[in-house]
Amino acid sequence: MRRRITFVQRPDTPFSLDQAVLTPDALSIHELDSVREERATFSFDELPSELWDVLKQCHQLHIRWASEKRYDTVAPFSSRVSPGLHVFFTPVADSSEENKLCVSIGLGYGCALLKRVFDAWLKCTNPEESFITPPILSTRFASTAAFQYHSLLPSLDNLVTYIENKICPSSDQECLRHAASIRSADSVDINYDSISHSLTVLGYWSRSPGKGWTDEIRKHPAGTDQVEVGLLGTEMATEPEDIKMGGLLGDVGKDDQLSMLYSGLLKPALFSFPSRHHPLPEDATYSISFTSPTGLHPIMTISLPPSSLKPPPAPPGATCALHTYLTLPSSIFGDKYQLSTTDPLFLNSHNLAALRAVAGETDLEAPDWSVSHWGSNWLLELATPAEFDQVPPEWNVTVPLHLRYLPPSESGYRSAAVPWPVVFWACTAEDGTKMGVNPFDRVNLGWEGLFGTRTMFYQLHPSSDRLVEELEVPVLQLNDEGFFQSKVIELGTVIAIGLGLLWVLWKLGLVARSSEPRPQNRNNKQEKTE
Amino acid sequence: MSAVASLFERPSLVFCASIVLRTVLLFYGAWQDAHSTVKYTDIDYMVFTDAARYVSQGASPYARDTYRYTPLLAWMLLPTSWEGLFSFGKVLFALSDVVAGWLIAKSLMSFYGMSAPRALKYASVWLLNPMIANISTRGSSEGLLCVLVIALLWAVLSRRITLAGILLGLGVHFKIYPFIYGPSIIWWLDEEHDGSTPPSVKQKQKPEDQTLMSILFNFITPSRLFLTVTALATFSGLNISMYMLYDYPFAQHTYLHHLTRIDHRHNFSPYSTLLYLSAAGDVQGNFESLAFIPQLLLSVVAIPIVLAKKSLPGAMLAQTVAFVTFNKVCTSQYFLWYLIFLPFYLPSSSLLKNPRLGLTVAALWVIAQALWLQQGYNLEFLGLSSFVPGLFLASLSFFAVNVWILGIIVHDVGLGGN
Repeated sequence: MRRRITFVQRPDTPFSLDQAVLTPDALSIHELDSVREERATFSFDELPSELWDVLKQCHQLHIRWASEKRYDTVAPFSSRVSPGLHVFFTPVADSSEENKLCVSIGLGYGCALLKRVFDAWLKCTNPEESFITPPILSTRFASTAAFQYHSLLPSLDNLVTYIENKICPSSDQECLRHAASIRSADSVDINYDSISHSLTVLGYWSRSPGKGWTDEIRKHPAGTDQVEVGLLGTEMATEPEDIKMGGLLGDVGKDDQLSMLYSGLLKPALFSFPSRHHPLPEDATYSISFTSPTGLHPIMTISLPPSSLKPPPAPPGATCALHTYLTLPSSIFGDKYQLSTTDPLFLNSHNLAALRAVAGETDLEAPDWSVSHWGSNWLLELATPAEFDQVPPEWNVTVPLHLRYLPPSESGYRSAAVPWPVVFWACTAEDGTKMGVNPFDRVNLGWEGLFGTRTMFYQLHPSSDRLVEELEVPVLQLNDEGFFQSKVIELGTVIAIGLGLLWVLWKLGLVARSSEPRPQNRNNKQEKTE
Repeated sequence: MSAVASLFERPSLVFCASIVLRTVLLFYGAWQDAHSTVKYTDIDYMVFTDAARYVSQGASPYARDTYRYTPLLAWMLLPTSWEGLFSFGKVLFALSDVVAGWLIAKSLMSFYGMSAPRALKYASVWLLNPMIANISTRGSSEGLLCVLVIALLWAVLSRRITLAGILLGLGVHFKIYPFIYGPSIIWWLDEEHDGSTPPSVKQKQKPEDQTLMSILFNFITPSRLFLTVTALATFSGLNISMYMLYDYPFAQHTYLHHLTRIDHRHNFSPYSTLLYLSAAGDVQGNFESLAFIPQLLLSVVAIPIVLAKKSLPGAMLAQTVAFVTFNKVCTSQYFLWYLIFLPFYLPSSSLLKNPRLGLTVAALWVIAQALWLQQGYNLEFLGLSSFVPGLFLASLSFFAVNVWILGIIVHDVGLGGN
């Protein structure tokens, strides 16, 4: 297992050289106040066979998980995804029948594995039914995975348990400690692709625990795998596309010669690189709410203060537009015909500019229980005030949505949890900007693949502590105590229909009787009695 | 009053008024669409015009989700995909309305011996009805169906059997439900009615002389046979051509959808709560799958046999009310299906002879709907769980009112309003 640990400090955070001491075997970190990114790369022999069985069916597999709790981001880790578990994967491209079978077996196994690793209650039967296929804008770059899945997942406890039981050797305390540290991560990425044949797990912690990170980062026990460490801070970059980082770098267990030169210190470094994701000031925020009462047609409101509407510090000549990317569970959906309209009245009244992309479950009528896909994704371009100096105190963008019918419940209500969307500026970058050279580059987030590869993103910060909205959905009320149980509804309907039918038949019978051809005298008699 | 009376004296005035009403609504609708986010145009019209656009681009109309109609409709609306002709379909639907009204008046005069002013007065129940004009100018295709149905009635009454067969086949191809008129037309079309035997001759036949075979033999008359064959030929001809053109999506969206759909969303039907329950898998019984039995027993068997020979339009009205009332899905556009027959029924109905009864019927029909709509509003917009008892009882009450009205119609049609 190769490791790369990066600590990034905010500019105003104090740092003294004795907080990081390098010895030939380890790097000791003492009360370091910083964000932390940890990257572990596994080769196949380090993984259990049940993982390998699924991975070998994949051309690419990318898992993104983000906490439901708000966390801060710092350059170069500025990108965000909606809270929950995102899975993107592309099966191996092979059209032979035999291989298709293998792939589908692998796929069928994929859901079982996801459930075992992340949560036994995931709404996932098999990828072909549960996953959605995102629109692929450019097959040439293939920046979007073929299948995509999302589910809310409040914690990674299950993943930690899985790693502890299946990956860590039971005596390896270091491994168990690493696994447990995932519990406090704000976001976790897992990447696999068939070219590198290795699995990378990335954790991101936006805050240090207590007084700061205190850790002893040891070299690899056998000394074969790298353990890289960086203590960095961002500097003012000269080019707007670039991020400049400065600080200390080290390779634990390898840099002993160099470290001697600096008498037990790390080597200083200053480097810059073009970046896809750029930070925005802290006051560039957004908040999500649903207009009350939500009814069956909830309206999602994205509220933006003036500071969020200020165009980002993009290179001169770049065109920028504000976007949102919604990740909606199957219980809530947009009407793609309503949202893709070009009617300026509709768009202006919602402060929307256009629907740019939609993928997933967009059936307008189906109840939730008959929908197999996990849900849908929507990329919307948002309108911004025409003149920046005439920005209202709060700019509200509204997205009209609709609820599916949910199964009956005892209370007459069910909850639908909707993750907050991400909101960001997307700006065109100069030709020739190579984002891939960024050692912290992050792709396969779902939304970034819908833009050209040279687009720059500036993400707004969510402003609430919990990034999931709970909607109350009215459903049919069924309980054991009330009068209106399913038997009563069934019987009541049958009786009503039956009585109605009898009433009409009775009326028809009266007509038929009175018009029956009868002997004249009987007819007269009847008329008399009437 | 005299002004109103003189209006009916002059047919051109009534038709002009009905056209002006629709023209004003068309322009008003265009204005509202251009100035308000609350659109006048019906959402279904967007579906039709989207489908027409797909057709104009050489694609299948079924590329548009929720397009559940015959391709004929999308073809007819092709001009809406042309620049500046978006409202073509609405004009077509509104024009169908007026033609339907004209056929109503014509039939009332030709077959029910009404004077022109009296016929126009009753035709105005349709022609000058703001609700009807509103529905067609908003772009609902029901008007098109209504003109087909009323043309069918007119063709049968004027003994144009071939035309009637074609219209029946076309109507069923368009929207399935007009098949219920088949039995009543065939039953009505006896020798007395099909013009082959004068009424006096028929009197001579004594019921006692008839054996089962001879009854059957007498039943199968050339006109009955011809109507059935033409209708079936038209229906299958259209379906086969459409299937050849659009394959499975045509069959799926136009017909099969209606067999397999689980219409769990709340609507006026008395079955809607039960369907929600059973769709969610919370019901032991399977009653809803038998729902077609009371519906078809009334609308296809009992009403045609008892009422068709008394009054064909009266029977068709009762059939339609029964079909809509006992249907598993019921939305307000279905009401149009029976409103078209009112001008034939009202002249001899007890609703007009006894205005108090008439007003009670109208009031209860409206109140029952309003009660349901209030519960629906609570659910849709206030997010209150009003399925039970609110919507459940409201839909049963509306059902009860409709059944009661159906009883009155059966009585009036069957006993000639006596």
